Amino acid sequence: MSNNIILELKQITQAYDQQLVVKDLSLTLQNGEIGCLLGASGCGKTTVLRTIAGFEQLLEGEIFLNGKCVSRSGYLLPPAKRKIGMVFQDYALFPHLTIFDNVAFGLKGMEKALLIRRVNEALELVGLHSEHAKYPHEISGGQQQRVALARALAPKPHLLLMDEPFSNLDVTLRERLSMEVRDILKEYGTTALFVTHNQNEAFAVADRIGVMYNGEILQWDSAHNLYHRPVSPRIAEFVGEGSLIKGVVNDNNQVETGLGLLDGVMTATTPTETVVQLLIRPEDIIHDDNSPVKAEVIRRSFRGANILYTLLLGSGDKVQALVPSHCDHQPGEKIGIHPDVRHLVIFPVGVQRRK
Amino acid sequence: MKIINKNIPWHFLTLFILFSLCAGLWVATKKIDYTWRWNRVPQYFIYHDEELIPIPFDGVVASLSNLGDQTQIKVVSEQGEEKTFTVDSNAVEVSEGEDLFQGDYLGAVFEWRAGPLLKGLWVTLWISAVASIFGMIIGLVTGLCRVANNPTLRSLSITYIELIRGTPLLVQIFIFYFFLGTVLDISRIVAGISALAIFAGAYVAEIIRAGIQSIPKGQMEAARSLGMNVPQAMVYIILPQAFKRTLPPLAGQFISLIKDSSLVSIIAITDLTKSGREVITSTFATFEIWFVVAFLYLMLTSVLSQVIAWVERRLSVSD
Repeated sequence: MSNNIILELKQITQAYDQQLVVKDLSLTLQNGEIGCLLGASGCGKTTVLRTIAGFEQLLEGEIFLNGKCVSRSGYLLPPAKRKIGMVFQDYALFPHLTIFDNVAFGLKGMEKALLIRRVNEALELVGLHSEHAKYPHEISGGQQQRVALARALAPKPHLLLMDEPFSNLDVTLRERLSMEVRDILKEYGTTALFVTHNQNEAFAVADRIGVMYNGEILQWDSAHNLYHRPVSPRIAEFVGEGSLIKGVVNDNNQVETGLGLLDGVMTATTPTETVVQLLIRPEDIIHDDNSPVKAEVIRRSFRGANILYTLLLGSGDKVQALVPSHCDHQPGEKIGIHPDVRHLVIFPVGVQRRK
Repeated sequence: MKIINKNIPWHFLTLFILFSLCAGLWVATKKIDYTWRWNRVPQYFIYHDEELIPIPFDGVVASLSNLGDQTQIKVVSEQGEEKTFTVDSNAVEVSEGEDLFQGDYLGAVFEWRAGPLLKGLWVTLWISAVASIFGMIIGLVTGLCRVANNPTLRSLSITYIELIRGTPLLVQIFIFYFFLGTVLDISRIVAGISALAIFAGAYVAEIIRAGIQSIPKGQMEAARSLGMNVPQAMVYIILPQAFKRTLPPLAGQFISLIKDSSLVSIIAITDLTKSGREVITSTFATFEIWFVVAFLYLMLTSVLSQVIAWVERRLSVSD
């Protein structure tokens, strides 16, 4: 299976001036996989991408592309020789060239008939064949995005890198395009790595997501696992919505919390009497007026189909609940809830003797 | 339509101010004792030159054949040698069978010739053109060195630019002519053109640098990620865009160059300015000639700016 690995980062470290921006970061991408680095701005995700592309020197570690070392400390294979494609945040289309020439740019030296066929193929893939004679400023932002993708894909790169590819688009277009891009990449069989700060994009497009914080990948996993099996409280809070409440594990492998006694499959085994943080997702809380458990609404956020309520429990913990929007409650009201927590995501804090 | 109507009074005011200025100048010149002699000017542009054709030997006019505007005169010498000359029909001075002595005029040929002002204009034009081409080359190379990674190239180009921009062009021309001209044994025309080219090159370099730096970094990176090395990316991606952006300042620089070329008259290159001065010494029509010289420079520069405006429109297709 090892010859299926397209990209491998081995403990790379990267610094600007005196500040480390990437620390001992490792990851691998299999052939045809779409990876994503997800993190807030300034976490070093773009630096990782630029280092893979060959625009930045490595301080420590090694980068392998298709089994070949392309970067290590003191050595840098020029970007031109890496057989990578790159889609930039601002697309960086060449304004003085037509759409056709933009896409053909990476195919210099190719036989003309083959070149024309390849460009048309790439433009048809992104659905822009009819616009080939226009200049970049004559087409819309979404079309520019797709031209940038076609341009990067036309030379059939080993690896496609995308830097915040959807951030310049408006919300509706962003959702549609991110799904389209995934389909295009899967159709082309391209291995790709992109960076974003937007979880929805990461979930929609990527097979594997690395959550980055402060120059490190905290978890490199599928979207499902990131959401349902976060390895640390930080990821639990960063990925998706939800809150951590205090709980104590009892003898019966149940957790005592402000929501009552919770039963379920635990993500970690802990000795009894352990104080834990328990992750409660908004969909874990069911609104039920007949429930004995009451909570006070302290904030409501209307989302159309749903309302996201922030609720204060009697124990002082806060949880969030996603409730159909016809159940309209104002802050200060007490509403009945019952927990429906299937698996218990717990993070041990310490052991506490019961009084 | 309303907007145009609203502006009409202002256009009248503009015309009125310009007219008043001209009238004021006219009144001022009336007060001094100066006779305007505009009629003397045209002959220094172009004149009708009369060339008299003499017979090279003693002989007889054998025949005259009229070819319309011109007449062919066949003459035969005493030794039997035959020769044919062509003169203008309205200036034939001999008739058939006439005996002539060596040096007698058969007739005359009239020709239009360029006067000193036109010749000077031509010299200014080609000196500026050659200096512009070299200035552009020097500027492009220096501009690229200016943004290069190599510290030596960078320092050398900065030194050159600072040296040239920090000294007057007139002084540079003198140094090129007297110092370099003597040391390297170069002619005044080469010295003059090099001084202009090197002067313009320093400014062009700064314009090119600004143009290159105004192109977003992503363009270079996009080109490199698509398989180009840095020089290729420069040629295919950065420079074409930079050129378009720098066209207006470059136009200004080359218009300046045409005007600055008047300074080479100081090292006795007979350009438009020097020709003007020469014509003045023979006509004493000082005012008229300087006005004419100014007008000719204005013609050159406005033609150039029109051409560049046209190129700009052509290139703006991809904006």
